[in-house]
Amino acid sequence: MNNELHHLIEMINQISDNNLHHGEAEHAADMVATHLKKFWARSMKDQIIAYAESDGSELNAVSKLAVEELKAWRQAKAS
Amino acid sequence: MLNYFDPSQYRIDPDRDYGTPAQLSEKAVALTIDGVEISVPEGTSVMRAAALAGITVPKLCASDNLEAFGSCRLCAVEIEGKRGYPASCTTPVAEGMEVHTQTGKLAKLRRNIMELYISDHPLDCLTCPANGDCELQDMAGAVGLRDVRYGFDGANHLDAETDASNPYFSFDPSKCIVCSRCVRACEEVQGTFALTIDGRGFDSKVAASQDEDFMDSECVSCGACVQACPTSTLMEKSVIEEGVPEHSVVTTCAYCGVGCSFKAEMKGDQLVRMVPYKGGDANHGHSCVKGRFAFGYATHKDRITEPMIRDSIDQPWRTVSWEEAIAFSAKRLKDIQAQYGRESIGGITSSRCTNEETYLVQKLVRAGFGNNNTDTCARVCHSPTGYGLKTTIGESAGTQTFDSVMKADTILVIGANPTDAHPVFASQMRRRLRQGATLIVADPRRIDLLKTPHGSTSMHLPLRPGTNVALINSLAHVVVTEGLEDTDFINKRCEGDAYKAWRDFISEERNSPEALEAETGVPAEQVRKAARAYANAGNGAIYYGLGVTEHSQGSTMVMGIANLAMATGNLGREGVGVNPLRGQNNVQGSCDMGSFPHELPGYQHVGDPAVRERFENLWHVKIDDEPGLRIPNMFDAAIAGHFKALYVQGEDIAQSDPNTQHVEQALTSLDCLIVQDIFLNETAKYAHVLLPGSTFLEKNGTFTNAERRINRVRKVMAPVAGKEDWEVTQDLANALGYPMNYSHPSEIMDEIAQLTPTFTGVSYAKLDELGSIQWPCNAEHPDGTPTMHELDFPIGKGHFAITEYVATPERSTRRYPLLLTTGRILSQYNVGAQTRRTENSRWHEEDVLEIHPSDAELRGISDGDWLGVSSRVGQTVLRCRISDRMQPGVVYTTFHHPGSGANVITTDSSDWATNCPEYKVTAVQVEKVSQPSEWQKHFQSFDEKQHEYLEKSKDESNFALK
Ligand code: SF4
Ligand code: SF4
Ligand code: SF4
Ligand code: FES
Repeated sequence: MNNELHHLIEMINQISDNNLHHGEAEHAADMVATHLKKFWARSMKDQIIAYAESDGSELNAVSKLAVEELKAWRQAKAS
Repeated sequence: MLNYFDPSQYRIDPDRDYGTPAQLSEKAVALTIDGVEISVPEGTSVMRAAALAGITVPKLCASDNLEAFGSCRLCAVEIEGKRGYPASCTTPVAEGMEVHTQTGKLAKLRRNIMELYISDHPLDCLTCPANGDCELQDMAGAVGLRDVRYGFDGANHLDAETDASNPYFSFDPSKCIVCSRCVRACEEVQGTFALTIDGRGFDSKVAASQDEDFMDSECVSCGACVQACPTSTLMEKSVIEEGVPEHSVVTTCAYCGVGCSFKAEMKGDQLVRMVPYKGGDANHGHSCVKGRFAFGYATHKDRITEPMIRDSIDQPWRTVSWEEAIAFSAKRLKDIQAQYGRESIGGITSSRCTNEETYLVQKLVRAGFGNNNTDTCARVCHSPTGYGLKTTIGESAGTQTFDSVMKADTILVIGANPTDAHPVFASQMRRRLRQGATLIVADPRRIDLLKTPHGSTSMHLPLRPGTNVALINSLAHVVVTEGLEDTDFINKRCEGDAYKAWRDFISEERNSPEALEAETGVPAEQVRKAARAYANAGNGAIYYGLGVTEHSQGSTMVMGIANLAMATGNLGREGVGVNPLRGQNNVQGSCDMGSFPHELPGYQHVGDPAVRERFENLWHVKIDDEPGLRIPNMFDAAIAGHFKALYVQGEDIAQSDPNTQHVEQALTSLDCLIVQDIFLNETAKYAHVLLPGSTFLEKNGTFTNAERRINRVRKVMAPVAGKEDWEVTQDLANALGYPMNYSHPSEIMDEIAQLTPTFTGVSYAKLDELGSIQWPCNAEHPDGTPTMHELDFPIGKGHFAITEYVATPERSTRRYPLLLTTGRILSQYNVGAQTRRTENSRWHEEDVLEIHPSDAELRGISDGDWLGVSSRVGQTVLRCRISDRMQPGVVYTTFHHPGSGANVITTDSSDWATNCPEYKVTAVQVEKVSQPSEWQKHFQSFDEKQHEYLEKSKDESNFALK
């Protein structure tokens, strides 16, 4: 894995940790997905989605859900 | 009758000295002075009332920025019904008073007084540096002094020795008239108490600290005493050398976020001295050593004066014309985009450049490059402020004016060191503390503000680095559980549901000071006391700095601060508020101007189609609807190989950003790096194009300070390389095929006003009329907005955000047992490129590592030893200073000198929301060493090589000229 991707994984997991409150993963994932939509560049979004599809093992539970949401939003936007 | 409601800024002439300070009373008192009837606020002195009536009373010891002292008696007047000759500076007005300022008796009395002064004063006026700018001279003229009966044979002070130890001003006691203006200026204006009057009567003289040289004393070289001195006793060396200036231009300091207004006093196009401008609403005539004295860098021999290019960084520079440099840059950028795609290039705007220049760079990126890869160095300092404040109170800016602190009852300072980083505001804060306000400092270090000589209460919460959120949560816990909330404010002004959720969260026992004591290291009882002092104060005001933002939970902490202010109702009026202290002069402005990759000017998100449409209509170009890369993302992308070119205006990312080796790797991965700067800075050593920048003295524009105040920057001399920075950006845009045709920065501001809802009322004409404007300035607030959120928040209701404490992964371990935190000092500024090229270096010749005596002892280290400091990313070597300002376990350094490599050790750990680096916490080990680190050796040789390349280009261009 290249450093850039490694960093993105660290970043998304950190965002998830900071938004998780009382273990409410769904709610946290919403916040994380919104965050990614608002602040991540296109190439960063692409890379994290590709990683979730191909492997995803280093994403924590909230991050996984968030990337799912991001992907759905992406697809809706494209169509 | 003349009716004065003092201090109406419109009638007060900032260039005039009214003798004593303005009074704020609303009660008016009417009196007659020399037959002129006038009404002034109660408490006003007779001297000031006379000045307001246009009558000048002679004076020597009075000045309107100091409390009256009444020592020279030159200002004596006659008042009907009163015996004797009262001093007009110490006599307050009374209803119906009849004052005479010019009578035969007064004239005689004043002449006698002047005669006494002059008899102990050298009569070398013609060769005195203050000739033409001396109040003693003026007064001798005003009272009509014609002869001096006493000779110089008696005891006098004429051969007292001059103290020239300070690099910027000298002290010649032979010229001193012991008026004590300097002593009072140091106390009242600056708040340092470095000067005293020693001895009594004839023997009395001015002394710095314990009769030391100025340089060795506590003096911080702010220059307030120099400005206050009516004679040439305390005098700028530049005036001694160059003579009295002949014209002046009002402009704004380009150093810190206070944004002091100055009169640049000139002789032709030569800057002789900077005098803080009394009409400046941020500084009211005060300044610090940087703004007043450290301007010599502008004419330093190291200035880059011609554009230069090269194909690779292992080659010498080639000096070329502007046209060639711009064409070369444009071609490279276009070729790279053709090969690697639209998103492969980007730009970095500067928090040191003007609003107009910043706006233009981000416009160039979004419109000319066709992507949103723009960012600014605010990324590495205050980006969490933007995120945190926007989420909670809806606007990314401080809520108050600086003057608001004069109404605060409790001042809570978190992670900021105002006496060093925001000195002029610190002086104002100290004034308020001397009036009795309570001070709470939350900081790992015992900062100097805590040493303010004053009678009020001060508390220090010495928390462990990295535990800010735990501390703010425990403060809020106390407020909520002890019933200290302002329920009225919460009900009216805040979202109910979010508040309830937050309240449940914060009341949990795990957020109590007792539960978090082990994390923060601050005794629970102290936290409770501090929370009560803040919540129960009539007005509680919070000021915070980079110690809040530069953490892995920087954004969370900012939200925690806003929560605390909302819960206690400390928002929306004077004396309260949430105030980020911005580091550099235009951090606020660069954020406002759309430097961030996700936001167009005015914090308008690029994803919003309505917003984009307005910009697209005016810019005639399509704007990308996805955010671009932030600085750290650019670095990663560069190393990964899909980000290839960068245009950097006025920033030094190679020195200021964390994990230097990573940054260097990123910069060397670029195919084209275009740096626009006034010096060959660290980043420029990796550049392919070097475009000469211009200093704030060489251009027109505006800066926005930490209180949202837009101040004018005015050109006082021509740019050394012929172009102001905005012109260079414009040329580059045109060469890239995106047309820009501004002829003056005022036109850029007009465009900003069209596109930014908070700026619609701003124009250069209005700035000239009002002096400065605090945004928002629009139809609702035509003259600007000193205090924000008075009625509602821009998002309607305030939003309480849940602030879970997540400990930073950067913790001390067995291998790296100490925590390193970084900061700034007074005399140096940021990466030091400017201040290191002035005499300011005399106060800070190198960056040192401060370490607690017990940690030093454990390692067998003594003062002055060379210390190897290593973290998981790198190692550097710094000299040791043993100091107990830190707690055991915490070490501290600054990063003003590139060779010290402080950022070689800081890691890429960053704020979760904004990627603002965690400069304030790095786990390190410290040990005694005998030689520089590998990085430093590499730095040294690389630095030498790059300077050689620069020298070569200079030789060649000299050759070409011959
Ligand atoms: S320069 Fe400033 S700190 Fe130094 S003695 Fe003068 S007023 Fe005091
Ligand atoms: S140094 Fe200047 S300001 Fe100070 S007492 Fe002497 S004359 Fe007055
Ligand atoms: S550096 Fe800051 S405090 Fe000092 S003069 Fe400049 S703006 Fe004012
Ligand atoms: S000016 Fe009033 S006593 Fe000196």
